[in-house]
Amino acid sequence: MNDAPTFEAAQKELEEIVHRLESGEAPLDEALQLWQRGEELYRLCRERLDAAEGRIEELASRAEATKPA
Amino acid sequence: MKIEAIDYGDRRVYSVGAFNRGVASWLARLPTVWVEGEVTELRRQARWASVFFTLKDPAEGACLGVSMPRGQFDALRLELADGDRVHVYGRPELFEARGEFRLRALSLERFGLGDHLAALERLKQKLAAEGLFAPERKRPLPFLPRRIGLVTGNDAAAKRDVLTTLTARFPPANVLVGETYVQGPRAAGAIIETMRALCRESDVDVIVLARGGGSFEDLLPFSDERLVRAIAACPVPVVSAVGHEQDTPLCDLAADARASTPSTAARLVVPDLAEVLQRLDRARAGLERGARRSLERERRKLDGAHERLDRAPRLLLERKRARLEHAAGRLKTLSPHATLERGYAIVRNEGAIVRSGSSVEPGQQVDVELAEGGFGAKVEETR
Repeated sequence: MNDAPTFEAAQKELEEIVHRLESGEAPLDEALQLWQRGEELYRLCRERLDAAEGRIEELASRAEATKPA
Repeated sequence: MKIEAIDYGDRRVYSVGAFNRGVASWLARLPTVWVEGEVTELRRQARWASVFFTLKDPAEGACLGVSMPRGQFDALRLELADGDRVHVYGRPELFEARGEFRLRALSLERFGLGDHLAALERLKQKLAAEGLFAPERKRPLPFLPRRIGLVTGNDAAAKRDVLTTLTARFPPANVLVGETYVQGPRAAGAIIETMRALCRESDVDVIVLARGGGSFEDLLPFSDERLVRAIAACPVPVVSAVGHEQDTPLCDLAADARASTPSTAARLVVPDLAEVLQRLDRARAGLERGARRSLERERRKLDGAHERLDRAPRLLLERKRARLEHAAGRLKTLSPHATLERGYAIVRNEGAIVRSGSSVEPGQQVDVELAEGGFGAKVEETR
């Protein structure tokens, strides 16, 4: 998978993985692979959220600067 | 009637008297009609056989001389004064001696307030039937007009009220004032002209028609059919602020919005700037709050998923281990050793399990296995 998934797609896949693991149906080998994939997706989502937060702070400080007296 | 003419070669020429007689006889053939107008210049003298007055069209200012036999006029006891509205029943005639055209009145009725109201009511019904006052015709006023066209009398308190309120509420308001007659016979036409002129100006998004209170007659131009139609046909929305609360000139019904006073009209037309700015500020703050809130929500959701992800493989392992233990337990239950524990013994003859008495013979050596250890034995007898 070369194209980085969108936040929503990553989040959805992560939740599906969690669900599959929690159902206990996955064979052990697959479970370990799923876990690894899930961790990757979690990191990706975290990065997106951190970036969004940085953008919010930036916009908020810009808005503060242009506030009419 | 034969009209005498003198022929000068090929030119026919009439004397003044003959000409007047000719026109008079032609006029006399016209039918008798009712004419409505305002009485002015009423002239009555005891020695005259007729009473004279001028009938004036209040809308157009056109005039018509009227004569009526004095006895008949006096018998009506109308006590007419200048400006009174009347209906005259008569026929056109020419006063031959002076070549003056006038209406020969046969009957005369005062046209009073009640008649005015009835006429207005008829007009209202007619225009309503055409759908001119229908609510679905009303257009919404612009939230922020680029330019406001104000139609009002010159030096009118109404004008001042509108302008004061407009600038108080919305200082950058751009107003184009069209001054016009707001009373009298020329008012309706002048108001229409002014309204049209303002609409031709660029960026005019709304028209305010403002006039202070006045008598019923003063406000009549605002019920003029032409004006009412012009308001309904106006390309931009019209706010009508004419007279006081209790007056309902027909222009109010055709307008897109009606205001009871000129300052109310101004309030309808522009928003309160301070309030708008405040709302804008609140919206902006809400914007930031909303963005942060949705970020927080996503973060919590993600953290929840992550926690479950971390727990899931261990749980999975636990479960698999438990299943294994369970299987081991069942395996153990099924092993022969458990049976021996319950007091059974296994008898072997040269390694083969003995299942029947006939498979051994007396004197033969067998091996007995118990839950704990075992022993050798000799067969005594078979059964």
